[in-house]
Amino acid sequence: MSTASKKSPLLSPELLAQLERMELVSRKIFRGRMKGERRSKRKGQSVEFADYRNYVAGDDLRFIDWNLYARLDKLFLKLFLEEEDLHFYSLIDVSPSMMFGDPTKLQYAKQLAAALGYIGLCRSDRIKIEPIGSKQALSAPMLRGRSSLHRMVDYLESIEADQTSSLEEGIKSFALRNTGKGILVLITDLMEKSGYETALRYLVAQNMDVYVIHVLSQAEIDPDITGDLKLVDSEDGDIAEISVSQRMLDKYKSTLAQFIGGARDFCAKRNVVYMMTSTDRPVDRLVSRYLRQRGLVR
Amino acid sequence: MTWMSALGPWQWLLLGLIPPLIILLYFLKLRRTPLEVPSTYLWTKTIEDLHVNSIWQKLRNSLLLILQLLVVLFLMLSLLRPGCQGDQLEGEHFIFMIDNSASMSATDLPSRTRLEDAKDQIRNMIDRMESDDKGMLISFSNASRVLQSYTKNKSQLKKRLNEIEQSERTTDIREALLAASALANPGRTSSREDARDFQVAEAIEAQLHIFSDGSFPNVDDFSLGNLQAEYHPIGGYETVNNVGITAFSISNDVNLTGKMQAFAQFTNAGLDDRTVNVTLYVDDEVTDARSEVAVSGQGNRAIDFDLTALVANLDTTAKIKLVIEEEDDFMLDNVAYNVVNPPRLAKVLIVTDQNPFLRMGMETERSQKVADISFESRSFLEKSDYEQNAALGLYDLVIYDQCSPKAMPECNTLFFNDKPKSEEWTLSEPLFPTRILDANTTHPVMNSLNLTKLRIANSRTIKGPKATMTLLESTAGPIMAIAPRGGFEDCVVGFPLVEYAESGELIYNTDWGSKLSFPIFLQNVLEVLAGGSRFQAMKTSKPGDLVKIRTPIPTEEVRVTGPGGVNETIKQDRDNVFVFTKSDLSGIYDVDDAKDDLAVKKFAVNLMDVAESRLAVSEKLEIGFEEIQGTEGRVPARNEYWTWLALVALAILLIEWLVYNRRVFI
Repeated sequence: MSTASKKSPLLSPELLAQLERMELVSRKIFRGRMKGERRSKRKGQSVEFADYRNYVAGDDLRFIDWNLYARLDKLFLKLFLEEEDLHFYSLIDVSPSMMFGDPTKLQYAKQLAAALGYIGLCRSDRIKIEPIGSKQALSAPMLRGRSSLHRMVDYLESIEADQTSSLEEGIKSFALRNTGKGILVLITDLMEKSGYETALRYLVAQNMDVYVIHVLSQAEIDPDITGDLKLVDSEDGDIAEISVSQRMLDKYKSTLAQFIGGARDFCAKRNVVYMMTSTDRPVDRLVSRYLRQRGLVR
Repeated sequence: MTWMSALGPWQWLLLGLIPPLIILLYFLKLRRTPLEVPSTYLWTKTIEDLHVNSIWQKLRNSLLLILQLLVVLFLMLSLLRPGCQGDQLEGEHFIFMIDNSASMSATDLPSRTRLEDAKDQIRNMIDRMESDDKGMLISFSNASRVLQSYTKNKSQLKKRLNEIEQSERTTDIREALLAASALANPGRTSSREDARDFQVAEAIEAQLHIFSDGSFPNVDDFSLGNLQAEYHPIGGYETVNNVGITAFSISNDVNLTGKMQAFAQFTNAGLDDRTVNVTLYVDDEVTDARSEVAVSGQGNRAIDFDLTALVANLDTTAKIKLVIEEEDDFMLDNVAYNVVNPPRLAKVLIVTDQNPFLRMGMETERSQKVADISFESRSFLEKSDYEQNAALGLYDLVIYDQCSPKAMPECNTLFFNDKPKSEEWTLSEPLFPTRILDANTTHPVMNSLNLTKLRIANSRTIKGPKATMTLLESTAGPIMAIAPRGGFEDCVVGFPLVEYAESGELIYNTDWGSKLSFPIFLQNVLEVLAGGSRFQAMKTSKPGDLVKIRTPIPTEEVRVTGPGGVNETIKQDRDNVFVFTKSDLSGIYDVDDAKDDLAVKKFAVNLMDVAESRLAVSEKLEIGFEEIQGTEGRVPARNEYWTWLALVALAILLIEWLVYNRRVFI
């Protein structure tokens, strides 16, 4: 883990400029809570005409089309398209394993969450960023509007890898507290001894538009180690003794490929968008190119 | 309590290396560098996958178990002490008697000598001894040595066994048997009649194993008693191939013609007839050689060499060496040595007033060549010159004609009609007439004499001290006798050659002086009593014999140098006699005066023993009244395997340890 990368700003001005032109896209149309900038399924009070319907007693008289009443002598109500806000959740895995890599996977996750969050803020979406399994999760603010950028960045800066409960429990807790619809991005390394599948199932059950961004450090993708080593697990202190050989490294890589392939398949079957990225891949490229391809932003 | 070792030194060394090895392995134990990783999740999966792929995976958990079982199995097997030909030696005390005489150096066994074979057999027997058994080791040739008294320490026994060296001595088992029976048959303190007499020690029964070729005479007056003897004949598995020199002497011609001859006898121990080439070296230069000397199977052949030419211009001691050029099974008897010392004039004093016979006999050319003779009158005996010279031993012989000195001189003497002053000698009154009964011609002084027709008028009979030998006997008794006196000899003739009448005329008492036998007698006297001889061919000694060296000039110390780096200074024993004991190797020994490095003389040591040269292996030994048959074949060896099994167990333990520490690999 590098302190230098930790101190680098989460969002550079160039990235901010780039992000301002983007927009979060939901594959589903959700009912927002507040009036936003998104066209809703519901009819509402925007300036955009949608349809007419017969007046029934009790309707707001302001929306009666008086011109039509004069012509047809019937009361019709003018319906306008409703514009709503979008719920956008970023869940960051704050397990100790996220503290590895250069920049650390946590830092990378923060940057990514900040970038996506800023896009949402610019579009007046409701943004919520939560560290999973951390005590800080309960104090996560709900952000809206471009002016909340600093609050969001400050909050992100304050997040530390202090996971107290497992990924599964963290997501379960989140799912219980947040029942609404929206877009959910889970940024994690999926390194969970007990398996990530149960945790993801909770998210699938939320009926949200779920994205899983699988962050791995370069050291995990292509380990540069030699000799006889005693590997110590950063999370539970488990020890694995290995003697590095080419055969072992090849085997590791194929195991990793299996692991990634397994996660991709799991997600694909459940209509969850999965994407694996390395910490070496710059966040702006990830957002501008890869996430756009996946349809999260446009 | 004596520490018993079951292992040989190198086995101990191997065992001793194991603890450091284990410690070394401990240091070499794989120190894995700790490395913190995000998660061991993938690594564990990787390792497990590798394990699944490995054929050893299934055995991995049980491998340690199998190894441990193997360790225990081998330890158990080694505790059973397996071995082959495992018949134990019966008894508790063992005496190993090994022959290291000359014949044991024979190489009639494939690729080794008889001694080496005997050592091997004893080594095997020591291995077969129980740990509580005691062994004793005795080597013998013509003398015996107890190399190791009773011990339980097998490695000590083997060490002593390895130290046994081949000797060049002849064989006599008697002394060794006495040493062996000392503990088995302890004697009594003094006399059996004494009521307080008791046996000095408890008899210890013992197994006596004799490893020898048996080429020694039977031991008659010896009882084995508590010794259970077993005879292991060594050698003789193949036909013997040996021609050896069994005699080599140098002597004057019998007829005293001034010739010198060397006689050599060759003995063929094999069954087939053989021819050998013989070379004679004088002072390491080839002087004579005989080719194709045929010696019939089991037979002897004698040849002689003429050394007269050599002797003609001899002024220092000559070293003579006779060599059989062909190699055979027994090389020690292929060389024989001898020395010829240059002539030395004997110093003879004749004390007489007037004796034409003596003067005539001593003034011959031959006598002059042999001795430096001086005549003195009887009054000379009173002079201090005489007393000094006689006491210092400057004379080799003094002849007293009808007189006797006050003190006997330090040399041999010859008396005519008188005797030494000692009371041991008595002379009777003159008897007349004298008739010769017998002459003892076996004595060298009487050699070649015919005295039967000798006529003597008056004579006295002689009675001498103990060990007096009569040389001439008359009807009345001995009239000529010789007796030893310390290192010297006194010869007394009981009649005068001439008598002096009062008028001064000579009266002849015998006609001996006019006979041929008289000068021959005088010559014999000069050679035997004065030690005067034209040449001195030394008698040779056998290896291991005591050699008595007598120097012509009195000195305090002599130094003897010889083969095998022998260099010893000896002090005078008595009367210019020096006793040399280290004549173990055959060859020529130089004797020098220790003070001024003057060469005194040389002497030769030779094996020349027919019994040794025969290389015969007797099938049985006769000791006392017992006949001991030789055991057939070699002593079966007990091959111990438990040490190897224990080592294997140890090795498996190491592997187990390795597997345990590097379990990830397997």
